[in-house]
Amino acid sequence: MSDPVLVIGAGVAGMTAAVELADNGVQVVLVDRKSTIGGNALNLYKAFPTDDCFYCFEGNRWRPGIRKCFYRSAMIDQPNIELMTNTIIQDISGTPSKFTVKLVIGPQYVDPKKCIMCGLCVEVSEAFALESPQCQPQAVTYDPSKLDEGAKKAEQDCPTKAISLDANPSEKTITVSDIVLATGYHEMQPVAVDEYGYGVLQNVITQLELARILDPNGPLGGRLVRPSDGREAKRIMMIQCVGSRDENYYPFCSKICCVFALKHANIIANERADGRVSVVYMDIRTYDRHERYYREAREAGVEFVRGRISRVVSTEDDTLEITVYDSLLDKYLRFSIDLLVLSSALEPPEGLDEIIKTLGLKTASGYVGPADAASEDEVVVGEHVYACGGVLGPAEIPESVNQARAVVSKILQGRK
Amino acid sequence: MTETEERTGPPETLIEPIDMSKLDPKFRKEIHSMPNAEELSACFACTTCTAACPIANQWNYKPHQLIRMILLGMREEVLSSKEIWECLTCFQCQERCPQKVKVTDIFFDCKNLAAEEGIIPPNVLALGKSLIEKGQLYEVLNDWEREDLDLEAEVPGLNTDTIKEILRGTRTGRLVGGEK
Ligand SMILES: Cc1cc2nc3c(=O)[nH]c(=O)nc-3n(C[C@H](O)[C@H](O)[C@H](O)COP(=O)(O)OP(=O)(O)OC[C@H]3O[C@@H](n4cnc5c(N)ncnc54)[C@H](O)[C@@H]3O)c2cc1C
Ligand code: SF4
Ligand code: SF4
Ligand code: SF4
Ligand code: SF4
Repeated sequence: MSDPVLVIGAGVAGMTAAVELADNGVQVVLVDRKSTIGGNALNLYKAFPTDDCFYCFEGNRWRPGIRKCFYRSAMIDQPNIELMTNTIIQDISGTPSKFTVKLVIGPQYVDPKKCIMCGLCVEVSEAFALESPQCQPQAVTYDPSKLDEGAKKAEQDCPTKAISLDANPSEKTITVSDIVLATGYHEMQPVAVDEYGYGVLQNVITQLELARILDPNGPLGGRLVRPSDGREAKRIMMIQCVGSRDENYYPFCSKICCVFALKHANIIANERADGRVSVVYMDIRTYDRHERYYREAREAGVEFVRGRISRVVSTEDDTLEITVYDSLLDKYLRFSIDLLVLSSALEPPEGLDEIIKTLGLKTASGYVGPADAASEDEVVVGEHVYACGGVLGPAEIPESVNQARAVVSKILQGRK
Repeated sequence: MTETEERTGPPETLIEPIDMSKLDPKFRKEIHSMPNAEELSACFACTTCTAACPIANQWNYKPHQLIRMILLGMREEVLSSKEIWECLTCFQCQERCPQKVKVTDIFFDCKNLAAEEGIIPPNVLALGKSLIEKGQLYEVLNDWEREDLDLEAEVPGLNTDTIKEILRGTRTGRLVGGEK
């Protein structure tokens, strides 16, 4: 029997690749360094292009937003998938089609096979958290840096004895035939772009943080509020291209931030009573079918200002006084704003450069580049090494899924 | 050494910015409800209209800027602008607009609103006056032109009384007649 395929990263792309390989009878080891799978999409509310979760089945369409179930049990129950969360790649050696991979599995503080998500530990200790009721694996997470008295109590009182605070990391070495990189992207924390005051002013946030706020299943129950005082946020401004298309940060266009900014603007304009949104932009880049979001935004009364922000000043009551240069009018405009949302660059995730170096891959602006730039096989990044989703550069979910399927078909062809 | 003193931002703009809270957010809706302005908010500021316009070169506010000003709520500036009155109504902008914004018609709407509020440039008012008084904009005066063409001096059957009568009952009549 052939060796299994290693899929690194259990976001939308990695999960798709894993499930479809497994469904075709291929053994898969699916590794993610986090305790909960799903990746960035876990934190989204509604997803373009359907305003729904790409993964869900018709019967579930009545619920708003992303369901965060992601093939629910498939990842856990598909016998061909070995899911290893909380796991990092220590080393990769060997030769293509016979890679030796050393994995370090983080301490298993909560045994997902035992946890019944009763919530007892979350109540008594800050160190435990329930990422989402639909999280996979179905278990709470534990953060050892927040160890408190309550955690010890929880360990004792847990009805299924799922907690073990002194768990240790372990190592495992496996042999795999192919490697699929699906480590996704990371939203840049724009602290260095200091004219916007991110990290200094509480009411300046990123789009991913806004997605969390808007999500009815999120920590605030979907209430649109100012982080500084929890008061309702009515006047929202977004600024595009923060750290993207900027030689000081990332020279590339992050490609999807215009679309998700418009998605958020429309949600606020259409679903929140008297929410007023202004979008400050250099270009609005809504590629192919997503132009619809732009037109809908204008119809919904979202205000577009072509230009840049001159300065952001916070007043005593945490309102932001923002001066914007409107290049179409050649005038400066001053706005009073509750929440400034930065459409921050999507950057390669931490640790990707090491993987690229170890496997000797090509890079494209820090992301993984195709092995043969001239070929149409963008997902083939090395000999028996493939990539899909955000790891190839910013991509939406449907594109990530398509790439994952392309990877699956390449691997299946290779095994015939 | 406080943090605020440390922070170096871009310099304060020397000219006071336009204060958005002093503008009229209802203006957009007001225009939107007028004839042929349904697509107003579809404008994405591509400047096609300005590129098409044969006269905007001479204007302080170009057609795309006027549309932006309407969207932003700059009611006073738009309604008192000379540009809406100088528009040649050639409809070039309207025909080319990729978002089907009826630019020329929207400027008509603006003129109607401005007129309602009595903001009309004197030269336009003078034209109105001549219409009311003479029933014509271009009066056939000395008849040498007609004579040269071997026509009789008087235009036969020309009677502007009815039109004058009608015009007096319109807004033009009201504006020229009484209020300034
Ligand atoms: C604000 C915002 C809104 C968005 N809205 C939409 C939308 O409406 N519609 C849409 O289609 N798309 C949207 N997107 C894009 C969408 O999030 C991505 O297309 C999708 O999440 C990409 O999935 P992925 O699997 O490639 O990567 P990710 O979701 O980033 O998953 C990568 C996974 O790999 C793991 N990982 C990373 N490095 C390692 C490592 N070294 N070892 C082990 N594991 C690792 C991570 O923990 C993570 O679980 C949005 C993005 C943002 C930022
Ligand atoms: S107390 Fe035990 S079973 Fe309950 S949520 Fe915590 S770990 Fe899971
Ligand atoms: S998608 Fe839009 S916001 Fe993002 S980098 Fe490109 S132009 Fe800027
Ligand atoms: S042509 Fe139409 S869309 Fe373009 S700026 Fe003019 S009104 Fe707006
Ligand atoms: S109709 Fe008026 S605004 Fe439009 S192109 Fe002609 S002159 Fe310019």
